[in-house]
Amino acid sequence: MTAEEKQMIEFILRRIRKPNLNIDENTPLVSSGLVDSMALGDLLIELEDLTNLRVPPGKVRPKDLDTVAMMFATATRVGKPQK
Amino acid sequence: MLRYRNLIEALEAAPDERPFITFWVDEDEQETVTFAEFRRLARGQAAALQAQGAAAGDRVVVIMPQGISAMAVFAGAMMLGAVPAFLAYPNEKVEPSKYRAGLAGVTANLKAKLLVVDQQFPEEMLGCVSLGDKARLLRARDYKGSGKEIRPEANHDPAAVALIQHSAGTTGLQKGVALTHASVLRQLEHLQRSLEIDSEKDRIYSWLPLYHDMGLIACFMLPMVRHIPVVMQSPLDWVMQPETMLQVISEHKCTLGWMPNFAFQFVPRRRRPNRRTQYDLSSLRALINCSEPVRGVSMQEFQEAFSVIGLKAGALQSSYAMAENVFAVTQSDIHCTSGPKRVWADGGQFRGAHRIASTAERSAGAMCFTSSGRLLPNHDVRIVSDSGTVLSDGSIGEILVKSDCLFDGYYNRPDLTAKAIVDGWYHTGDLGFCLDGELYVIGRKKDLIIVGGENLYPQDIEEIVSGHPAIHDGRVIALGLYNPDLGTEEIVIVCEVENEALLANAQEIEHDIRGRIAAGLGVTAGMIFLKPPKWIVKSTAGKAARSTTLEKLQKEHPELKIESDRG
Repeated sequence: MTAEEKQMIEFILRRIRKPNLNIDENTPLVSSGLVDSMALGDLLIELEDLTNLRVPPGKVRPKDLDTVAMMFATATRVGKPQK
Repeated sequence: MLRYRNLIEALEAAPDERPFITFWVDEDEQETVTFAEFRRLARGQAAALQAQGAAAGDRVVVIMPQGISAMAVFAGAMMLGAVPAFLAYPNEKVEPSKYRAGLAGVTANLKAKLLVVDQQFPEEMLGCVSLGDKARLLRARDYKGSGKEIRPEANHDPAAVALIQHSAGTTGLQKGVALTHASVLRQLEHLQRSLEIDSEKDRIYSWLPLYHDMGLIACFMLPMVRHIPVVMQSPLDWVMQPETMLQVISEHKCTLGWMPNFAFQFVPRRRRPNRRTQYDLSSLRALINCSEPVRGVSMQEFQEAFSVIGLKAGALQSSYAMAENVFAVTQSDIHCTSGPKRVWADGGQFRGAHRIASTAERSAGAMCFTSSGRLLPNHDVRIVSDSGTVLSDGSIGEILVKSDCLFDGYYNRPDLTAKAIVDGWYHTGDLGFCLDGELYVIGRKKDLIIVGGENLYPQDIEEIVSGHPAIHDGRVIALGLYNPDLGTEEIVIVCEVENEALLANAQEIEHDIRGRIAAGLGVTAGMIFLKPPKWIVKSTAGKAARSTTLEKLQKEHPELKIESDRG
């Protein structure tokens, strides 16, 4: 697990108010109901900060962000340089 | 006297070259069609529908992703005199069997002739759809202008049903609200007057789903009939990146928009301060808070966050709207630079005597209510007690509505219609009060849970939780508690485990329940409280007593913030 993935997991645990939950980079988040689409907005902002990329709207579906590993892969695939 | 006989005649009268719909995906991906281009698209879709047997009066269910194609199919159906209805597209999280069951209930009631879906619509979702005799499925193709077109029938009777919109809800028991051309046209006439719409200068912004009245009426029918350009994005794109709303409004200089209350907090809390200089909201003249009770604190937060990028004082307004009245019942005064009126009331009087007793602003125990505005022309409301007595100004009771755009009834549901409309008055199920000519909406009379503008029935949630093997069947209560941080209600569930030993696995059970709710309803539960057997308070009739159980829950968990931050 990368340092950025670890940071993202810590952010997610704070966001969903479950600091003691055990999740890793491959834990399903959206499909399991831990994270809803409203929370995904916060996660995308954090993802942009951690990757220094801009993730364009319309190019990402919730299923692309189901795990922390998929979030970083998606950002790499569709991300653009920040303005 | 209405300017047009029906909605299609209004579409046909639109100026050819004026932009109609811009669908915004990204700054480098957006599609615009003019009114002339949209008419061609709709005529092409009408031909495709007719080829499948659709004719005047037939119901056509449209389940397509938000966009120009879906809107063209809808308008194409109306060109034939058929009656279209949008239904929600399947959400990735919803379990297929649950979606199918909901869809089956709605489509069976509509007895649809055609179900129109897009090319990507999942095959497995169609298994349980009930379409009625000789009904067909059509996978819509984008009409490119090369095939057959229908010359639209613009002579539809104004009294004919034009469209069906559904009351909100995730259950298969959503009610289809049948609306005539005349009702919709009258509503749009009222909206144009109260908002002083200028079709040459105004431009609407929308992220609202087309299967809800705000999206369908305010952001599709209004621009179609009044020839106003509309810029829209998908609701999912908006919810995942709400800041894009600022970008769209800035790029297209939009002047009008509608949003549910929660969005007025959701957007400011997810903006990137470092991108502030890229946005300009000075074009907005009315961004209207409607569909949930209007909360002043939410609007204030939006105003404070965005006045720095040009949001004018008084641009945030309010309205009370419902599918059964086509859309709006009230509208706040768009010329009032301080926005919708507010009243401060004594909390004790409000809770105990169900009356509004004005008190000093921010005095101890005072509660603040924000007005939804004044009645539209030809509209009337009554506030009544549980016994049906008409109440005076400042008294709290159920809101009844009568107007010249009220629906005739729920489609194929005379039983529900008879309960809802009594002596010409529609019983809204909402609680509120009138004061000095303004209507204030407090909340739902029923037990609906409203999360982010979405209405959820507690029974749907309770049924899912009861199905968990670790939970005692029937010992579940789902509640909606207002979370001031979110600006909307949050689902709170309290349930009893089968035996106390199971509490050792609480985290695992809670996780499982959360997943089931997400799969079943496509929503996320806020807090789940697992309790030992016999914890939930039962009424004498043996049913779970909601309010008493809630009080007990609050005593044990004082961290629950409940309705404490109204404003």
